[in-house]
Amino acid sequence: MHEEAMLQDLRRKLVEVTAREAAPRVVRVRLWLGALSHVSEEQLRREWPRIVDGTPAESAALDLTTSRDFEDPRAQGLVLVSLDVEESGSTNER
Amino acid sequence: MTERTIAVDYLTRVEGEGSLHVKLEDGRVEHVELRIFEPPRFFEAFLRGRMYTEAPDITARICGICPVAYQMSAVHAMEQAYGISVGGALRELRRLFYCGEWIESHALHVYLLHTPDFLGYPDAVRMAKDDPETVKRGLALKKAGNAVMQMLGGREIHPINVRVGGFYRVPSREELESLRPTLESALEIAEETVHFAAGLPFPDAEEDYEFVALQHPEEYAMNEGEIVSSRGVRVSASRFDEAFERAPVAYTHALQSVRKGGTPYLVGALARYALNGSQLSPRAKSIAREVGLEPVVRNPFRSILVRSIEMVYACEEALRLLSVYRPPETAWVEPTGEFHGGVGAAATEAPRGLLFHRYQLASDGRIEAAEIIAPTAQNQKRIEEDVRHVVERSLALDDAHLTALCERAIRNHDPCISCATHFLKLEVERA
Repeated sequence: MHEEAMLQDLRRKLVEVTAREAAPRVVRVRLWLGALSHVSEEQLRREWPRIVDGTPAESAALDLTTSRDFEDPRAQGLVLVSLDVEESGSTNER
Repeated sequence: MTERTIAVDYLTRVEGEGSLHVKLEDGRVEHVELRIFEPPRFFEAFLRGRMYTEAPDITARICGICPVAYQMSAVHAMEQAYGISVGGALRELRRLFYCGEWIESHALHVYLLHTPDFLGYPDAVRMAKDDPETVKRGLALKKAGNAVMQMLGGREIHPINVRVGGFYRVPSREELESLRPTLESALEIAEETVHFAAGLPFPDAEEDYEFVALQHPEEYAMNEGEIVSSRGVRVSASRFDEAFERAPVAYTHALQSVRKGGTPYLVGALARYALNGSQLSPRAKSIAREVGLEPVVRNPFRSILVRSIEMVYACEEALRLLSVYRPPETAWVEPTGEFHGGVGAAATEAPRGLLFHRYQLASDGRIEAAEIIAPTAQNQKRIEEDVRHVVERSLALDDAHLTALCERAIRNHDPCISCATHFLKLEVERA
């Protein structure tokens, strides 16, 4: 019952990080999906275009790792691991 | 073009299932939309094809805070269809069971969700650091309510002992009496709670509600009665559609309920107190007078006080029911005679308001259609009105303060979505 709230939070975080990093385009998004997450892998892949629609990650490849470890402390979660972003030469490096 | 990797390592969170969209134009509130985007849970569809006996266990799963309400509305609806009459000790046990749920649910809302709003804390955990005694009082009350639910339901959350016609097992007198010290202590805490709540700072507000609640000629209604309103409605649950209607709205997943003709109405503690307050116990009424609680409360922020009064009543009523209890000869009543199928409808008073169930049954007892109308769905349109008025009074506030105030205005009505303390994403369009 909490899938939509989690996916909306993921979208919010993607927008926040890309704005903060001044990243105009995301090439790849790495996600880690816990074994006991409210969202299933199938559901996540199906909803992916809608989650990223209108964000800098719109055309990003989804790199999804699905855990089978019930004992993992984050087994119930969905983790935004990292983003590969494209940047122009003028972008400030951290 | 070059690429770089940004490590984020962010665990997504369930922030809640509601958002509020407010459109302002020329300093006026143009539009308010409370959007509940929790996806449909399909309980009414799950029930189709199941036996009538399964409804109390399936519907209990709808809510972890008020499963008794779902079980009670389900069994009463089925009993109406089958023509079963449940009286005597079984009826009293059901009322006691409901008292337990009112105590635990109201304690949760009053202390852990509502009080932090008044005292300026983001949540009860942070409030506990400064004021552990207040939180402990709330937890003690919650535990007392849970003890009643455990005793009669077999467990506190999603109880498993309710069946159509009664219970699978009823307690002995001694077992039930073991609850007495806990409930006596809970009654004292509930009285302290009323005095505590009376001292909270209440924002000014005055809403013109049409109150809707169950009303019974002989008792403060929980399980049985007619559905009445402060503007003249009086119908049995089977005639619910004559007075109320609901419709899908594009921006929210919850069906919105309105009175026939389209006006919003309010269910819950304020409605019960306004319509049935004269049936509270003398002690509950006297404490209400002591703290200056008016007979009809139209300031939604003061609902915390009304819930506290209802906790006093529920503790007292539970103690009274312990005293009169004599175990029934059988734990449940079986249907008699041949069943040819039909429709059963019932409404009971969940802690957060009227909960309506209707089932269409085949002659073999299978559920052909189910309809469940939860209190928050009924209050949704009325909550939008409250929020509109709060925003109109507070246009000068920045978005952060306005969000906090809107959250409070919504939380006043103990909605199902308030479990997420910070549930609200506020979008303000200022034109």
